[in-house]
Amino acid sequence: MGYARFIAGKTASYVLALLAAVSLLYVGIYPTLQKVIQASAVEAASEFQRNLARGHPGLSLAQMASEVATYKAAYLGAFGFDQPFPVKFALQMANLFEFHLGSSFFIQAPDGSKQVSAIVAAYLPNTILLFTTGTLLVVAVGGVIGLLAARSAGGKLDRVVPVVAIVHSSVPSWWIGFIFIAYFAYSLNVLPSGGISSVPPPAGTLPAFADFLRHLTLPLFSFFIVNFGGFAYVTRSLAVSTMGEDFVTTARARGMTEGRVLFKHVLRTASPSIVTQSILAVAGSLGGAIVTEVVFRWPGLGFLTFEAIIQNDLPVIIGSTFILTIILFMGLYIGELVYGVLDPRIKTGDL
Amino acid sequence: MEPSGRRRGYLREFLRSRSGVAGLVLLVALFATSAFVVATTSPSQVQRWQNPAAWEGNPQAAPPAWVNYFGVDAPQTVQLSLGRWSNLSSGAGGAFSASASFSWEHGVPASDLAVVPVFKGQVYEMDVTWTKPDGSSVVMSVSSPVSGSFYDATSSSFKQGIAQFIQAQTGAYVSSVTTPQEVAALFGQDGRDLLNSSVQRGTYTVAVEVLGARGLAPSSWEVSVVGDSYGTMGTDSSGRPIDLGVLAGLPWALEIGSLGSVVAVVGGVLWGGLSGFLGGAKDRAMSWGTLVILATPGLAFIVALSYNVRLTLLSEALIIAGLSWPVFAIIARTVSLSIKSQTYVEADRAMGVSQLRTFTTHFLTRLTPVTVAFTALSVSGFIITGETLAFLGIEPANVITWGGILNAAISFDASVHGWWWWVLFPGVMIIVASLPFVLVGFALDRVVAPRVSAR
Repeated sequence: MGYARFIAGKTASYVLALLAAVSLLYVGIYPTLQKVIQASAVEAASEFQRNLARGHPGLSLAQMASEVATYKAAYLGAFGFDQPFPVKFALQMANLFEFHLGSSFFIQAPDGSKQVSAIVAAYLPNTILLFTTGTLLVVAVGGVIGLLAARSAGGKLDRVVPVVAIVHSSVPSWWIGFIFIAYFAYSLNVLPSGGISSVPPPAGTLPAFADFLRHLTLPLFSFFIVNFGGFAYVTRSLAVSTMGEDFVTTARARGMTEGRVLFKHVLRTASPSIVTQSILAVAGSLGGAIVTEVVFRWPGLGFLTFEAIIQNDLPVIIGSTFILTIILFMGLYIGELVYGVLDPRIKTGDL
Repeated sequence: MEPSGRRRGYLREFLRSRSGVAGLVLLVALFATSAFVVATTSPSQVQRWQNPAAWEGNPQAAPPAWVNYFGVDAPQTVQLSLGRWSNLSSGAGGAFSASASFSWEHGVPASDLAVVPVFKGQVYEMDVTWTKPDGSSVVMSVSSPVSGSFYDATSSSFKQGIAQFIQAQTGAYVSSVTTPQEVAALFGQDGRDLLNSSVQRGTYTVAVEVLGARGLAPSSWEVSVVGDSYGTMGTDSSGRPIDLGVLAGLPWALEIGSLGSVVAVVGGVLWGGLSGFLGGAKDRAMSWGTLVILATPGLAFIVALSYNVRLTLLSEALIIAGLSWPVFAIIARTVSLSIKSQTYVEADRAMGVSQLRTFTTHFLTRLTPVTVAFTALSVSGFIITGETLAFLGIEPANVITWGGILNAAISFDASVHGWWWWVLFPGVMIIVASLPFVLVGFALDRVVAPRVSAR
């Protein structure tokens, strides 16, 4: 009962927040967005004209021009071009949320389509794959290291974790990627330098999968190596503060093993805060992750954005920013749901 | 009285942290270096950096000079100056000659030979005669050279002269020559095997004769025997010295880092602190506002916004700060909530003290140390964000950034070619600039945060 109410509340709050964030983006990019839509209209109109000429060879030039003009006006009308700002805003936001992101200037999807939604859809899975795997790895390994450091507070591991965290907070993950490429790919020549598969990809499902894993290793490792230290440090701090609580002392007095105390009592109690920290970590590491893609030529949204910046392909930049916003919101929302499961106060309706 | 005593306690405790003090010392050194760079750099130097043609005399993609100490034979550039012109003409036109010598003891040839003629008047022809230790010479003639222009192995007149020399020595017809072939010919043992022979060691002479119209006045000319290593950090593929760029990038990194951090932390702590202090519906509304920005992908947003806002140091710092304050707001709100549960806050309320006063006396004083610690701790994050954007190609015009240098490195496939110095030093500088802030921040954080005592 308590959980259902919690979910309903969080869902409403996140949906509204997403609307607010996209509105913010909309206002920030308003001038370019209008230019982009106009350019898209011109592009769409010329395609319409080609099709018209092919399908109706009998039309006169004047008839053709009037048809094209009507088409273009209708296209712009769909984006509320001749309307006052509130209507225009509503129409264009609706178009965004229906993924009508217009067509790109230059960049094409692998199937040759120039629809921004198709392009983004082609690159998105690779980002989700890299980012989700990386985050899970950071949370799992960083969390365990943090707990172990907390167990032996003042010990060797406990002294190393802050040092690793300090170094990690001052290194860009994409730069580490550069160094890994130079070392593992060009010096040792053991791993591919970038991309997502060999050219041509090896035949057969299993060799292709192994090839994919080899390409995944370095980007994943760079993301992991720069992010796990900070997370371990945070987990350690939370666990240490929980370990001072009376119920932990009680558990110890009852003769429980240290490992059992740590994983059953301490982790159980600290887990909601750890999830909150994971949420912050996810939000903070997305930027680094998408730039890591650039260095490894990993065909995800970060790489797409970089290509779009180079080619000045504004529709693609806007489209991928919009999709990244949705992705981040979903990531954080899932984090909240996990938090709801872990925090016992929510189930009982105390919170 | 009490807060100032507490402040002194903080200071004493901070000074006890060795890493914190080390960070502070490094920080002072960084800012001093930065101040020196700002004082000695002029806008024209930045423009020169952005103009690849201005660096033609330097070796391209050359490793640092100190690789020579590690068993690599990478000669450094030899700069010759032709200043003492002897007048050969007695009557009509102007004819001058000058020469300079240098000794070459390397096992490899130079990478290029470049001449920059500087003169007043008109020159019909300039003959550059290159004499090797064994006495044979190569003549390269340039007709109507332009004062201040750059003539090297890639210019057609040099190619022509060297190709003739190769033909004379090897007896084979040469249709086109590459720069490596040209320098091999300039430095190799004469004979049929010229292009594949070992380098002649000894004294080389460069002599120049110019023939021009009456009134010709040549001034000091630069002749570069371009090497294969350069400076402390090498050069990029257009010959720009990395050490210069790395140094010039320091002020910008510190500025964007400090400015962004101060704005974001102060704003975030005020927002979150106030939200926790107010409580109830206002707290829920403000927390929701925090969520909106938290869940906004900052980097992608900034990229999108950068097409609508003219980027300057200030605007970029404000945009970055405006998208990264939520983390500080969330933590400050937690601190604020814990302060709120203290008895002195309740006492204030019972005594009818105004809300504003309670907030300034109890909350702000306790949030201030947290703010200082976060500011120091987060500068590195802002430096990295600034450099990351520059790496993506989003940076104000007319600044030199490490991210920009790394962007060029990836565009020119520095990793593929093994030009490690181009990638290593700018990246290391990001760490060097960030680390002291993190060290100081961690030390402050440990002093300021409600302490977690080890068992």
